[in-house]
Amino acid sequence: MEADDLALVARARSGDDEAFRALVVRYQRKVYAVALGIVKDADSAWDVAQEAFVRVHEHLGDFKGESAFSTWVFRIATHLGIDAVRRERVALKDDVDEVREADLGDAGEGILGTGLGSDPQAATLRRELLGKIQGALETLPEKHRTILVLREIEGLSYEELAERLGIHKGTVMSRLFHARKKMQAALREYAEIAPQDGRDDGDESE
Amino acid sequence: MTTSRMVAAAAAVALCAAPVLARADVPVRVRVVKGSRQTPPRFDPRLSDLKKQLSRLSYSQWEQVKEQDLTMSPGKTEFVELPGGEHVGLTVVDVRGDTVTFEVAMATRNTQSRLTIDKNQRIVHQVSPEKGGVAYFMSARAWP
Amino acid sequence: MTDCVRYAPMIDARAGELSPEERAGLEAHLAGCAGCRARAAAQRVVAGLLSEALLAQANRRDFGPFVDGVMARIERRRAPRGVLARLRAAVVHHPRITFGAALAPVLAALAILVYVRTTHDEVARVLELNSEGVDMVVQTSDGPLVLMGAEDDPEGT
Repeated sequence: MEADDLALVARARSGDDEAFRALVVRYQRKVYAVALGIVKDADSAWDVAQEAFVRVHEHLGDFKGESAFSTWVFRIATHLGIDAVRRERVALKDDVDEVREADLGDAGEGILGTGLGSDPQAATLRRELLGKIQGALETLPEKHRTILVLREIEGLSYEELAERLGIHKGTVMSRLFHARKKMQAALREYAEIAPQDGRDDGDESE
Repeated sequence: MTTSRMVAAAAAVALCAAPVLARADVPVRVRVVKGSRQTPPRFDPRLSDLKKQLSRLSYSQWEQVKEQDLTMSPGKTEFVELPGGEHVGLTVVDVRGDTVTFEVAMATRNTQSRLTIDKNQRIVHQVSPEKGGVAYFMSARAWP
Repeated sequence: MTDCVRYAPMIDARAGELSPEERAGLEAHLAGCAGCRARAAAQRVVAGLLSEALLAQANRRDFGPFVDGVMARIERRRAPRGVLARLRAAVVHHPRITFGAALAPVLAALAILVYVRTTHDEVARVLELNSEGVDMVVQTSDGPLVLMGAEDDPEGT
């Protein structure tokens, strides 16, 4: 796929619009999905995604093939997305990246207690959460949405995330920790699972 | 100059200077609004119709600093003076039924924004970059 | 419990992302910490869900017009047309022309237009995302909110 991309880039560079269009079509949905995770709004995500490809087109001559084409377009989309929500103001008390003792809380606050044993239960829970996860994501501040989206959709490693976001690897890990923790909390509200009670044995008599 | 020539000259001037005659003038309420960040929270009650738009931003204090009711002819630019002495150019570019297209221009920022709204909406346009936690916005509304 | 502060963020790591020491430390910690095991279990439940959900959204949307939209934007950038482009050309070529007082500040230097159309029925479209001066347009049902970039913003990416 990557070599294929480079061939298309070479043709697009020399003015072959069909080759450029092929590149757009190949990555449009994934770029849109990343943008959607960051900017939250479907129409803004559409604009960000389109704009990312326009920028790519403008700078085809600069692309040296040192990174993958897909990395390049995702990088542009990330920055445009972050730019677009730069003014998003969510007043947070805990905006620091580092993980502190207080952040650990009760591990039972996670989406599961200790009681979710069987696979069918997990599968059911997953299906239910699939419908809620985008809404849960939207409640997170931009920096947490972004790092989760890049980790999960683009599949970036800690090192790649550090480079993309301009932060240290340690910060990547702790920011992801906070992001996942917030996500779990948001999902917990949706799924209405009580924090301390992991047991789901249906026994109401207690 | 003879009378007939004066009349002709006057007519010629009138025809050249007149805007497109068919369009009606639009009453527009323009306000200059100040947003402050490093101040105690306060929302000027005169701005209640802008609350939905202004509350998207994180300024803690909102204050109306100027209000002007203008009658605008399509194509003719009105200038609104800002607290710093700068001017923002506002022009009604088009009117169709219930919708009006405004153009907001700021020479110092090399900006011209063309925005179309209907009679129940307002434009809120930042007109100064944030400095010292303070930024100015201009709002425009047709048929207030 | 300070071990959790160190190891809980490592739970998310994939193969090769931790050093052998970190990996060994994490394994040892998990063996003895029910809390972190619970965290790991919770993460497994939601692993991949975000990607699945957002990509499903992308798949639900009609992308037919997307690439045409991209090409249209590229075209628009190539050839600025219309009154303003001609006016700009006029100012550049005839600097001595003094327009009426009504126009002078507006013509100081023309920039890329931001067109936003918003009505109650139509979905708003921002045609140019980063024109000089205007940084962002936020759509609300009450009307557009147009924001400027900060004074010393570096250009784009």
